[in-house]
Amino acid sequence: MAGMKTATGDYIDSSWELRVFIGEEDPEAESLTLRVTGESHIGGVLLKIVEEIKRKQDWSDHAIWWEQKRQWLLQTHWTLDKYGILADARLFFGPQHRPVILRLPNRRALRLRASFSQPLFQAMVAICRLLSIRHPEEMSLLRAPEKEKKKKKEKEPEEEVYDLTKVVLVGGVAPASFRGMPAHFSDSAQTEACYHMLSRPQPPPDPLLLQRLPRPSSLLDKTQLHSRWLDSSRCLMQQGVKAGDTLWLRFKYYSFFDLDPKTDPVRLTQLYEQARWDLLLEEIDCTEEEMMVFAALQYHINKLSQSGEVDEPAGTDAGLDDLDAALSNLEVKLEGSAPTDMLDSLTTIPELKDHLRIFRPRKLTLKGYRQHWVVFKETTLSYYKSQDEAPSEPIQQLNLKGCEVVPDVNVSGQKFCIKLLVPSPEGMSEIYLRCQDEQQYARWMAGCRLASKGRTMADSSYSSEVQAILAFLSLQRTGGGGGGSGNHPQGPDASAEGLNPYGLVAPRFQRKFKAKQLTPRILEAHQNVAQLSLSEAQLRFIQAWQSLPDFGISYVVVRFKGSRKDEILGIANNRLIRIDLSVGDVVKTWRFSNMRQWNVNWDIRQVAIEFDEHINVAFSCVSASCRIVHEYIGGYIFLSTRERARGEELDEDLFLQLTGGHEAF
Amino acid sequence: MGESNEDIDQMFSNLLGEMDLLTQSLGVDILPPPESKPPRAEFNYTVGFKDLNESLNALEDQDLDALMADLVADISEAEQRTIQAQKESPQKQPHSASLHVPSFHGTASPGYGANVAATSQFDDDLPPPPADPVLDLPLPPPPPEPISQEEEEAQAKADKIKLALEKLKEAKVKKLVVKIHMNDNSSKSLMVDERQLARDVLDNLFEKTHCDCNVDWCLYEIYPELQIERFFEDHENVVEILSDWTRDTENKLLFLEKEEKYAVFKNPQNFYLDNKGKKENKETNEKMNAKNKESLLEESFCGTSIIVPELEGALYLKEDGKKSWKRRYFLLRASGIYYVPKGKTKTSRDLACFIQFENVNIYYGIQCKMKYKAPTDYCFVLKHPQIQKESQYIKYLCCDDARALSQWVTGIRIAKYGKMLYDNYQRAMARAGLASRWTNLGTVNAVPPAPPSTGVKTGTTQANGQIPQATQSMNTALGEDRRHLETTKDKKPGLGSHDPGAPRAQPPPKSSLLPPPPPVRRSSDVGGGSPGTPPKAKSAAASFPAQPDDLLPPPPPPPPPPPPPLEDDELPPPPPDFNDAPPDFVPPPPPSFAGDLGFSLPPPPPPPPALGPEPARTPPVVVKRPPPPPKRQENPGPPGGGGGEQDFMSDLMKALQKKRGNMS
Repeated sequence: MAGMKTATGDYIDSSWELRVFIGEEDPEAESLTLRVTGESHIGGVLLKIVEEIKRKQDWSDHAIWWEQKRQWLLQTHWTLDKYGILADARLFFGPQHRPVILRLPNRRALRLRASFSQPLFQAMVAICRLLSIRHPEEMSLLRAPEKEKKKKKEKEPEEEVYDLTKVVLVGGVAPASFRGMPAHFSDSAQTEACYHMLSRPQPPPDPLLLQRLPRPSSLLDKTQLHSRWLDSSRCLMQQGVKAGDTLWLRFKYYSFFDLDPKTDPVRLTQLYEQARWDLLLEEIDCTEEEMMVFAALQYHINKLSQSGEVDEPAGTDAGLDDLDAALSNLEVKLEGSAPTDMLDSLTTIPELKDHLRIFRPRKLTLKGYRQHWVVFKETTLSYYKSQDEAPSEPIQQLNLKGCEVVPDVNVSGQKFCIKLLVPSPEGMSEIYLRCQDEQQYARWMAGCRLASKGRTMADSSYSSEVQAILAFLSLQRTGGGGGGSGNHPQGPDASAEGLNPYGLVAPRFQRKFKAKQLTPRILEAHQNVAQLSLSEAQLRFIQAWQSLPDFGISYVVVRFKGSRKDEILGIANNRLIRIDLSVGDVVKTWRFSNMRQWNVNWDIRQVAIEFDEHINVAFSCVSASCRIVHEYIGGYIFLSTRERARGEELDEDLFLQLTGGHEAF
Repeated sequence: MGESNEDIDQMFSNLLGEMDLLTQSLGVDILPPPESKPPRAEFNYTVGFKDLNESLNALEDQDLDALMADLVADISEAEQRTIQAQKESPQKQPHSASLHVPSFHGTASPGYGANVAATSQFDDDLPPPPADPVLDLPLPPPPPEPISQEEEEAQAKADKIKLALEKLKEAKVKKLVVKIHMNDNSSKSLMVDERQLARDVLDNLFEKTHCDCNVDWCLYEIYPELQIERFFEDHENVVEILSDWTRDTENKLLFLEKEEKYAVFKNPQNFYLDNKGKKENKETNEKMNAKNKESLLEESFCGTSIIVPELEGALYLKEDGKKSWKRRYFLLRASGIYYVPKGKTKTSRDLACFIQFENVNIYYGIQCKMKYKAPTDYCFVLKHPQIQKESQYIKYLCCDDARALSQWVTGIRIAKYGKMLYDNYQRAMARAGLASRWTNLGTVNAVPPAPPSTGVKTGTTQANGQIPQATQSMNTALGEDRRHLETTKDKKPGLGSHDPGAPRAQPPPKSSLLPPPPPVRRSSDVGGGSPGTPPKAKSAAASFPAQPDDLLPPPPPPPPPPPPPLEDDELPPPPPDFNDAPPDFVPPPPPSFAGDLGFSLPPPPPPPPALGPEPARTPPVVVKRPPPPPKRQENPGPPGGGGGEQDFMSDLMKALQKKRGNMS
């Protein structure tokens, strides 16, 4: 295209000069000037740019970003005219995939390359594929909060950032599994470590850190988070994300489809982590009893995952889980088919005999603990005045089957009591056993626990139960002290403080209870979950989380049409909830199943929803853009259309149709 | 009764001991799930309930018969298993022989004077019985001597009890004889073994009663002393629950319909979408269509975790040990019931735990207004299942209205049992659906479906003559080769005892003659087929068919035959049925019956199960036959012999046989 110039320097053919900056949006970037015409195709322009640069490298990922219009020029067969590009357009020739730092649900940072040119929905599909998380539609990205950035600056140097930017995934093919992990993770030690970070629960956080982290103090605070969601139908570039930015990766839609521990180790773990942090940071409230169960599960999960690491450096975590599951299944089967009595007769039944001090609380009694000769056989506890009288009738005999066993322990005070609530036709009888030391306590306690479930000390789990109790006691001893079992230098969170019960509960319980009060309660809850395998325990944790009344509600401040005050709109997977801002009471609930249609008026930022029977609701969004509300509603509708039969395929168009919309930028 | 109970207990244990010896000597292990515990302990345990003793002792003969049929079925099942395991036909013979109670007859019968005496005598007599089958054989002859009615009755009962005990022992599975009260004030006694869930027992009852099998039927426990009651969830283990009852308990088990049981699945919106009773909502709720209900259920029960209905409100709580009630604001969560402490808000963090569900069951409180001065009569009660007496550990709560009560009770059940409830419901629905389909089928083509089903069904209850016609017709329809043969043979004894009812003297001899070998055989044969599936119900059903055919149930066990006659004397009601029954049954030719069958079928939904098993069963039976054939023939023989002795019977029997022949 030999352009001809006039005397004034203008081209007399229709060509003109187009300036293109090389690299990402950077005013200082080097630039090229090309001569083009309005009929030039984008593809031709790209070619020309590459020729001009004269550098040998893979340019295949590069494309042109039009800054003013905030738009990628991806249609290579379109002409400049068609795009409407004139000489004043600021164009940047840069890579479509750029590194970002993702803060995962487990609070770890991971650097990877994300697409800056595709709609976020597609970018998420690619990211989740890389992380081997199924059902990417449930996840999305949030902008990192401003405040946290400041805090992080102090710590950032210590923090390890896992790097997956160099990992390339072959398109189209489902990642094959190799050595118990997706093949693309097995390339190097780093990526392997990264997979372990993804697929294994993290140790409990440092309680002090926990106290420092921001926690929502009101419903209003909980709405903050939801104002930061990125838009799924636009690309990262369009939303002002820059290379190297930190984004949060979270499960956005609380509708977890087909959660399967076997195929979803990463997804399960990350979901568990998100649930755990939700609870620890009081994003979701629970009762004391529930917190103890959560704490016990965390303790158990942590114990299992740590021991798994020790045994299995190669990290065949999933395999381990399978084995565990198989073993426990087997155990169940064995127990199920063969009556326990049968086992008893086959193996000699171990019994415990010892001098213990016994206390039976009664009305109007001043008696304290008294020494007795106690015999514990099968599930029955008998006690005698002394050992000599053992052959005769015991003072009392208690069948512990179905009883409640409550530890009453104070390690530093050398108090090892077992409180038994034994049911009988007349009611419950209460009895305290006081042991001399940890060893004795652990043996008797384990026996009582098994007996309460109708099993005897011949049961295979007896010795492990004893060990677990001892372990927990030692934990209590070191609790709050230094150098415990947390010797995994994985990161700052794996505190060097050992397992502190404070790391397992939300900070408000730290204030409410002393560690030594907390430990026995966690231990008590732990006895119900001690038999679970790692993935079962995670699943149980998630289920308990899902059972909380406030589970899965995303809060947004809105103002209903005709109302003068702000209110909260809660969005859950099946309903919308109108909540009083000040009191927190539910005012009204609408279910998606009754919804006819919803509309967004982008100009006045109002969402209008019509339900069956001509119920109309309209509100404007205050704390978040109405885009976010719109996308939440559309997203949940989309998720409800998923069916098992359809497998993994995602109907992206439908999703974008439901969540997209025209918004004036 | 107390005394006799003790006696019976003792008798039981003696029997057990004997049985132990016998089985040991035979070297045959019967049931796969043997319990290691000493049989005696089990036994005492089994008998532990007053109800049980009563049910065994004071049972109407009908019941005993039915029970026996059950037992026999079990045994036959057991036998078959052993046989299959060992695959040695020879073994079986001695085994079966040993099982037979006849021996007891001989020894015990002569001694009987009165009921009590009889039982006590038993104890003394018992030792001898252990003697080997060989010994027994000689004994039979003595009994023929005429005995007074009372004696006969006593003896018959004792025999039945003994037999029952033996069978129990044989199975080596912990079993209870449970008396279940029906709506109509009647009751049925049922064997329940430790593996059976409430669902199994219900299925069993469906077969024994001609109810419609809908999902509302439930087992219902009542504590008269505490004035509380509840229905069993279908997955609960019945024996386990009952073993929490005390020995002298007044608790009762009922079989009835409670729509509360699955109300949540029929109208989930009443529990899940009820927004604190706002009228607006109620109206819309009631309009909910089936599709929405389904999706609501799916959402609530089929997710990763189930959703417990949001429920909160003021309830009255009875203060421990007082008759005063305090109003508090309670909330239901998946983890338990919480209340709002004074001066606190109802946010999660402020809640105090009132109770968790792990160790408690939920009951309805009955007439708490009267008993405890409750503010309303809508009470529910939470207590540890083992607590049977008044105790501070029983929690009483009182709602303002019936709606709240049903929401709380249902909500708590959902929190406690979770998805299990939904699974139960689906099973119950499947069962009900099956039943109704069967009835439909039955009407369309009466013959094919009828035979199997009817046989099973009718057998159970009908023996007692409640729905004579249907059963009979069914039986007739059944009349297939083998069945027929067997049945006819059976009938002979049965008939004889039956018609002759009047002539008392006759029956006894029969019993003595008939009993020994044949019955067991038969039972084994029948049962043999059954092992396939649900041990209890099916086997029972299988055994029964024979009975219905005859109308005179006793076929399986030898001893049973005698009882009917006796009972006739004692119990006026039964005899009429019997009498009526036979005539109807006999005269109408097979075809006509078939027609009847069609009509009668509807009730018998249970058949389906029977059908399945039936085909499977027959083959095994056939296989087995080889060894038994000779005995079979013997069986027919004895009846014939009986006939000879009893003039009345022989004619009848001949007539019957002829008809049978025609039919086949």
